[in-house]
Amino acid sequence: MSSDDAHSSSSEHDSTDQNPNPSTSIDQSLDAIEGQLTSISLNHRNSPLPEPPIPPPHHGIGDTLPSDAHSQVEEVGAVEKSGSDVEVENSVSRGEGVLWRNSSDVEGEVEGQGSPSSSGYAGGKGTSSSSGVSGSGIEEISGDEVDQGEGGIRSGSFGGSVDSEWVPGKRHVNEDDASVSWRKRKKHFFVLSHSGKPIYSRYGDEHRLAGFSATLQAIISFVENGGDRVKLVRAGKHQVVFLVKGPIYLVCISCTEEPHESLNEQLELLYGQMILILTKSINRCFEKNPKFDMTPLLGGTDAVFSSLIHSYSWNPATFLHAYSCLPLAYPTRQAAGAILQDVAESGVLFAILMCKHKVISLVGAQKASLHPDDMLLLANFVMSSESFRTSESFSPICLPRYNPMAFLYAYVYYLDADTYLMLLTANPDAFYRLKDWRIRIEMVLLKSNVLNEAQRSMLDGGMHVEDLPVDPSPRSGSLSSHLGQPRPPPDSADRCKALLGGPCGLWHFIYRSIYLDQYVSSEFSSPINTPKQQKRLYRAYQKLYTSMHDRELGPHKTQFRRDNNYVLLCWVTQDFELYAAFDPLADKALAIKTCNRVCQWVKDVENEVFLLGASPFSW
Amino acid sequence: MGLSPANTATETLKFCIFDLRRGQHEGEELDKILFFYPADMPFSAQLSVIGLSEGLITFTRIFSPEAACEVIEAEMHSHVFYEAEPDIWMVLIVEKSKETDAIWRIDALRGILKEVHSLFMMFHGSIRALLDKEPSGGIVRKHLYSFVMDYLDDFLIGKKIQLPNFRNTLKERGTVQMLTVSREAAMEVQSLVRLLESCLGSASCHSLILFQDLLVSTTLSPDDTVNLYTYALLRLSPAFSSGSSTWSYLRKGKATSHTTGAVSMLANAGSGLDQSHGSRDSHPTGDSNHDITRPLQPNKWARGKDGFLVTDIRGSYVNNMVHTTPAIWLQQTEEKMYILAYQHKSLTVILLIPLMFIMDGEQGISMVKQQVLENASAKIFKVEEKLSKGWAGENAYHVSGYRYLLVDGDRSTSRASPPGKVTTLTKESLVAASRLREEVDLEKGRTKWDNPDLEKELEICIRAKNNAWVIARVTRGKELYMVLEKANETLLYASDAVEKFSNKYCNGAFSLE
Repeated sequence: MSSDDAHSSSSEHDSTDQNPNPSTSIDQSLDAIEGQLTSISLNHRNSPLPEPPIPPPHHGIGDTLPSDAHSQVEEVGAVEKSGSDVEVENSVSRGEGVLWRNSSDVEGEVEGQGSPSSSGYAGGKGTSSSSGVSGSGIEEISGDEVDQGEGGIRSGSFGGSVDSEWVPGKRHVNEDDASVSWRKRKKHFFVLSHSGKPIYSRYGDEHRLAGFSATLQAIISFVENGGDRVKLVRAGKHQVVFLVKGPIYLVCISCTEEPHESLNEQLELLYGQMILILTKSINRCFEKNPKFDMTPLLGGTDAVFSSLIHSYSWNPATFLHAYSCLPLAYPTRQAAGAILQDVAESGVLFAILMCKHKVISLVGAQKASLHPDDMLLLANFVMSSESFRTSESFSPICLPRYNPMAFLYAYVYYLDADTYLMLLTANPDAFYRLKDWRIRIEMVLLKSNVLNEAQRSMLDGGMHVEDLPVDPSPRSGSLSSHLGQPRPPPDSADRCKALLGGPCGLWHFIYRSIYLDQYVSSEFSSPINTPKQQKRLYRAYQKLYTSMHDRELGPHKTQFRRDNNYVLLCWVTQDFELYAAFDPLADKALAIKTCNRVCQWVKDVENEVFLLGASPFSW
Repeated sequence: MGLSPANTATETLKFCIFDLRRGQHEGEELDKILFFYPADMPFSAQLSVIGLSEGLITFTRIFSPEAACEVIEAEMHSHVFYEAEPDIWMVLIVEKSKETDAIWRIDALRGILKEVHSLFMMFHGSIRALLDKEPSGGIVRKHLYSFVMDYLDDFLIGKKIQLPNFRNTLKERGTVQMLTVSREAAMEVQSLVRLLESCLGSASCHSLILFQDLLVSTTLSPDDTVNLYTYALLRLSPAFSSGSSTWSYLRKGKATSHTTGAVSMLANAGSGLDQSHGSRDSHPTGDSNHDITRPLQPNKWARGKDGFLVTDIRGSYVNNMVHTTPAIWLQQTEEKMYILAYQHKSLTVILLIPLMFIMDGEQGISMVKQQVLENASAKIFKVEEKLSKGWAGENAYHVSGYRYLLVDGDRSTSRASPPGKVTTLTKESLVAASRLREEVDLEKGRTKWDNPDLEKELEICIRAKNNAWVIARVTRGKELYMVLEKANETLLYASDAVEKFSNKYCNGAFSLE
């Protein structure tokens, strides 16, 4: 781990060791832009000059905190160690951090303790993964790489098994804005502070991008000085999307075909992920010191962000704002829910049992409801952090939609390779109680065979379009029976014979239940076999979703869309949204009929694909 | 009316033209600006607009060297960019507002920039050429100032410039609307075209014939046809005098202000813009507007006794009433042509004669006119009569139950529901249609970059919240947009409606089989 940390914290060293004027990495054109903006600002009285691109001086809060790389490592280790009484104690009582105090102010529980250096959770997030990732092999796997040659997800289905080969972590750390390869990356994400200091960049080392960061800041503040707020810049295939969140600026530069609305939501989630790690009280650090350097607080979290960004190209939850469940027999899910319910009644805020990205069961304390976006960010945080897998952890986290100002504490424990339990509490001293609960839960789950069932479900997958019942009847409400059911006889689909895929050329669908905040999507099957095809379909859905949910006009009721790749149908009602993809040659009338059958099918098996009757779930 | 400096305080629109090759040194930035509206905006504010534009052009080229900044969307404004000529940029900044109908489609706004530049080129040649000829930029600034201000004057409603918004979504700028004629009439028109050719006696002469504001015939390239057609609609069309005009919704609200017509008012020089120009002494372009051509100055064309339109767009001749014949540049051949327009009732015949061809100036022109009058006027009368008989009036292209726009990109033509019918649509439907067009614009743009050879095939049918069907079809370079407000709720019904329309009015271009 230590070698990795050396790597992940190199940015830290850069800021102190390097020449503070990173002129080598600043491209001439950046100078030109700033020149253009500044020369104008000189004429423009009220506009302050953009911050010169100087790396963050190492002072301020950073000095008072144990934010040095090595101390971080140690703390990390401390928190991760499972079951070691002393160390857990340590992690909670260490340090005198501003951040921690801020959060405890809100909570009103912990006095003057905690570690602002993001210690606890900085540990949780698998600093290890950032090493060895810059190898060339990874390039092919990662989501949005260089312009030419689309990389992509290897396997996996929407909301299903995420590709196991994809390795989270920072790519191409040696690039900066002067590199041609860097400029050609298909999708950049940047986070910077309002004074222009880099906080995060998807590609390239943040501190080598100080000049570029200052340029982004100059653009944002220049428009702001004119009394407006820049949202989007379009140039050819490229879109630059800006999101300002108080003192934190987020920018996406992309030449993917995604609608700018989607990119904007992705920035929102990226911000949410940051808040999940630090809480919104980070703003106070900027109030105290506008030049505050946030990077040390996020040290080692590259894997969390890169895996979130990766999910933007395969996980429909990122645009649907709904979560998906692991398909399970109703009694099995009931059994899991019952034991979680017991925990929730004993003072735990949320008890969540998940298998990879899918929920097995979820229970909230009375009146507490969990937003799907929070679940997405929490699951991403846990899954992208190697350390959670290897040990029992108790980590401070913030649920941005639940309460962006306060830390909660997450007890995380992996029951097997894919299945993990998360118990969230507001009480920082609850570790042992939760540990006891976990042991009880684990016993019940083993006894009722839930973990085995979950594993089997992972292997079997969920709904396959080929299994769409010809005549769905309310009686046949069992997914497993459909799974085992023989395919419809070939003559029943005469008119669709020539088409690829399932009945009438149905290739795939996503069904989102509005009341439940859940969605179910079919497994990928022929002809959506390759990662490239899956990603293209994902993007098509994303576009369809955006088109249907126009901010001012939406949502529309129905949409039919045919292009060279697909026939897409979308149907939005008060209860559900259906997105379906067909062969581009599919017959319109039959496609509509098929959609009706899909809806009926989902209703027939809703006991198994959805988590029903979860605790009050309302927004 | 007219653009007066007093408006600028409340003016929500900014429009600038600048040259990135100029004003490279510190302190010389002002030299970049070739045009700025509103002109009385403080220089610092003007420079601020140019600075942001230039900054983003440079910035976007880092990632997208092949296509720099096209639009900046801010919370309150849209900045629309158009690189009219290499390094010569036009930027239009409009304020967004839901209350005031300020909902824009970016490509439609860019269409305005393209149009004013094309028209400018037609009369003055390229901006770069003018700058090369006179590097100080004084002359080009004067030309641009008069030209663009005259152009913007058409968008003036009350005291504010009102650019076409979502209400014009079933409308395509930069295309020609054709008159559908019977076979018999078409043959008459053909023989008129041949007759005109023989009168002019040169193969490099061209003609363009309009009936009302619809194109009947052209011998020009598509681009030149669009430019000249656009100009004819703006300044030559008899629609000015009849008051019934289908073009008027392109220039919203202007129809009424022109009902007096171009034809009657030669001596009446006092358009609003003139006044504002007169009062603009402080502007860097100076006040000497009277020695330059102002082809877009309103109400400067009039029908002479012989049926030919005469003009005093060359300001210097205003006082002694000597009319010169204006000339235009053809984009395709880069040839300079005299432009002659003959009008008989609803028919306008525009003749283009190469400058080279007329050796003795105005005298030669008179001889050509004489030729045309002697040999072709009878035929012109006949064609006008024939077309008038077959003409079903301004709702000729209305299709009951449909509100549509049909664009043929390859031929630069379009046909649409008459504006009077489009106004019956609700705001929701029109905004939805505008959004859908924006989406199609983006798709087309992506195809252009990713796969220029790919024939984009696209069909989108949306049932909006207000139950209207909003439909877009793109196939083989043709586009069809439709709003059906009273259609049945099923998708099949809506598709069927498109199919019927396609079979009946588009030769099945959008039919599925």
